[in-house]
Amino acid sequence: MKEEEVRKTVREGYARIAEQGSSCCAPASSCCGGTDLGQNISRDIGYTQEELDAVPEGSNLGLGCGNPVALASLREGDTVLDLGSGAGFDCFLAANQVGEQGRVIGVDMTPEMLEKARESARRDGYENVEFRLGEIENIPVADNSVDVVISNCVINLSPDKRRVFTEAFRALKPGGRLMVSDIVLLKELPAFIANSIEGYIGCVSGALMRDEYLGGIKAAGFQDVKTIDETRFPFELMANDPTVAAVIETEGISPEQIEEVSGSVISIKVHAAKPNGTA
Amino acid sequence: MKRELMDILACPMCKGTLQLDVTEEDENEVITGSLKCTQCPETYPINDGIPNLLPPDLRD
Repeated sequence: MKEEEVRKTVREGYARIAEQGSSCCAPASSCCGGTDLGQNISRDIGYTQEELDAVPEGSNLGLGCGNPVALASLREGDTVLDLGSGAGFDCFLAANQVGEQGRVIGVDMTPEMLEKARESARRDGYENVEFRLGEIENIPVADNSVDVVISNCVINLSPDKRRVFTEAFRALKPGGRLMVSDIVLLKELPAFIANSIEGYIGCVSGALMRDEYLGGIKAAGFQDVKTIDETRFPFELMANDPTVAAVIETEGISPEQIEEVSGSVISIKVHAAKPNGTA
Repeated sequence: MKRELMDILACPMCKGTLQLDVTEEDENEVITGSLKCTQCPETYPINDGIPNLLPPDLRD
């Protein structure tokens, strides 16, 4: 799959999701829960009800795979960069935590998502959150300028993940922290999913093997690379994506094949630090 | 886009400093305008308050 084709498909897929308000509601699917479904998924992956209630309505599309904010233990006054901020869910949670002196910048390449995010920020009066249309492989942020980089189930979608880590390293101040959650693989995916461009949007086809993912973070210069948590990624969450559901239906995939895929996909939460004295 | 956030913005291509040119601004933020790189020839538009800092080949 060509890089450009991947980018285009990912953008279009997420633009569609932004407009629908949830990753659900495909004609082939019966879940149709809209925002409620987003909330249920989010509770399942570790957000508390208080957190869900504290963000603008419509910003939680149930697309994440973990809760980097709880992990990042953000401090008052921190400058936070969210890679692939989508409708802004994690940005708003982060903004509540860093307070008035802090600031949060969300970068996403899907205009429809950013418009949603910006609307929410305005409506709910968030003064310390800003959104930029940008690419996570070419982060539009100055060197050594942010305290924390967060990203929630996004880097797996990038056709050049090593570059994303290198860019995150560059943007961080010395001593800055990277806190990401993502989908990785324990074994290679069967060809019917790996070759599916639709599977990309459901976060699966683009995922790297776990060691390769962690290796990419180390290669960028990060130290203290720690996996905080590993959870089997429920296949239902992937199947929740309309495009993945469609693949399952049209390709006539058996329950055994689904089980096989499900066992090889996990979500991980990783913490890493940019060493002091590096720039 | 708020003016205060200019200091941590950079050109996505060359990481050069960006210069803000305002066309429309309200009491809170810049609504339309552009960000011109001081190091390379790129200029990035600001529309509806959102700076479009996508690399030129991805810009619609």
